Formats: sequence, structure tokens, C-alpha cells
Amino acid sequence: MKMGIWVLLAGVLLGAAGFTGVYYLGTSSCRELMSADQPELAWLRKEFKLSETEFARMSDLHAAYLPRCAARCSQIEQQNRKLEQLFGASSPAMAEIRNALLERARMRANCEAEMMEHFIQVSQQMPAEQGKRYLAWIGKQTFLRGQAMEDRHRTNPARHSGHNHSM
Amino acid sequence: MQDDEGLDRILREWTITTTLPPRFKQRVWRRIEKLDAGPQAGGSWLQRLVGSVILRPGFASIYLSAVLAAGIAAGALVAQATTSRLKTELSMRYVESIDPYPAELHK
Repeated sequence: MKMGIWVLLAGVLLGAAGFTGVYYLGTSSCRELMSADQPELAWLRKEFKLSETEFARMSDLHAAYLPRCAARCSQIEQQNRKLEQLFGASSPAMAEIRNALLERARMRANCEAEMMEHFIQVSQQMPAEQGKRYLAWIGKQTFLRGQAMEDRHRTNPARHSGHNHSM
Repeated sequence: MQDDEGLDRILREWTITTTLPPRFKQRVWRRIEKLDAGPQAGGSWLQRLVGSVILRPGFASIYLSAVLAAGIAAGALVAQATTSRLKTELSMRYVESIDPYPAELHK
């Protein structure tokens, strides 16, 4: 009886040791990424198999892009505030609102164009095949996500024909 | 020898005044029968399992191997899920660092 309990306990300990060991080994690469200075860039390096030189060039591009991106965001934010003021005025001037909207759309388009340019530059620092994969992936994660709305409208034409308004 | 005689004398003089609890004899015999029947009879399911199954020849090694294999498999599955979740998290952090539009604008 006593021996049986020892065997039972040894099994539990062995199972726990197996679990812990495999879990520790299996997550070691992730722990390494998380402990990096910039984990997201470390992930990019691993995911797209960048060499030391490629990673250094890509990191420089990333660091140079961030302040430009922040400046554009700030301009769009200012334009948003302007639009808010125009729209909240006692007698909103539609012509001015239209111009402000067009200006914000131009800023956003410029922002997206700059972003795409950055993606292309980053992809050019990678081996050709990885660069292609990076562009396909980042496109889906950023500007191509906007297509979801168009896709929904395309797959549901009744939405615009007024046939789905029945209660 | 003298000590033994003394003990005998005390035992002869000793009279038990307390009465036995009801059905004392039956209970003693029942316990003896249970012990004679071995570990399979009576006891909790765990005692029965430990006594009859785990100690069977060859079973202990099968049990230990199975538990180790289950631990390894569970560890691998959980590690895979954790790795996958962390990688997705990091990829999203990268996207958020360069995408000026909040995610809801793209939805």
C-alpha cells in the first residue's frame, strides 16, 4: 500500500516535470524576444530571418520613420479639431466643412502613401523572398484592412437597395 | 523470575470493572475478516486502486511512462499556444508602432 502511494506520487511528479521542461524549452524563443530592447523589432527580425546588417538597416529606417509619422498624426489631429469647431459653430458653413474634410482626406492619403513607402523601403532591406512576404503581410495588417468594409458591401448588395429595411 | 511471579500475582488480582461496548466481539471479528481478505476489500477507491492495480507487476512502469508522456504532450500544447499568442501580440505591436490609423478606422 505504501509502495503504491509512492509510485502514484512519483507519477504525478514525473508528469509535472515533463510538462514544465517541455513548456520551458518550447517558450524559450519567445522569452528571448520579450527580453529584447524592442521586442516587436526582435520579432520582425526572427520572423523574416534578417541578418545582423539587414536588421541594423531596418532598425534605422524604423527609428527615422517614427517621428515623421508622429508629426503627420499631429497635423491630422489639428485638422480634426478644426472640423469639430466648424461643425459645432452656430451656423455651420458647409463649404468650409467640405474644404476641411478634403484637406483631412489629403493628409490621410499622404500619411498612407508615406507608410507604404516605408514598407517598401523596409522590404528592400530584406532578402527578396522575405521582402515579398513582408509586403504581403504588412499590407493585410494596415491599409488593406480598409477593404473589409467594401467587401461587406459587395457581398450584401441588398444593403444599398433598401430591401433589408423590413422589420 | 521473581519479577514474573510478581506480575502474575498482579494480573490474578486485577479485576476489570468496566463493561465492553455493545457488539464488541462482532466488530473485532469483522476487522479480522477484512484484514484477512487483503487490500482489495474495503477502503476507499484510491486505496483499492493503489493496492490492486498500481502494484501489479509491470503496471507501475506503464503508468509512469503514460504520465510522463501526458505531461510532455500537455507541455508542448500549452507552449505552442503561448508562443503563438506572444508572436501575434508582438506582430500587432509592430503594426501599431508604424500604422498611424487606429485599428477601428480600418474596420
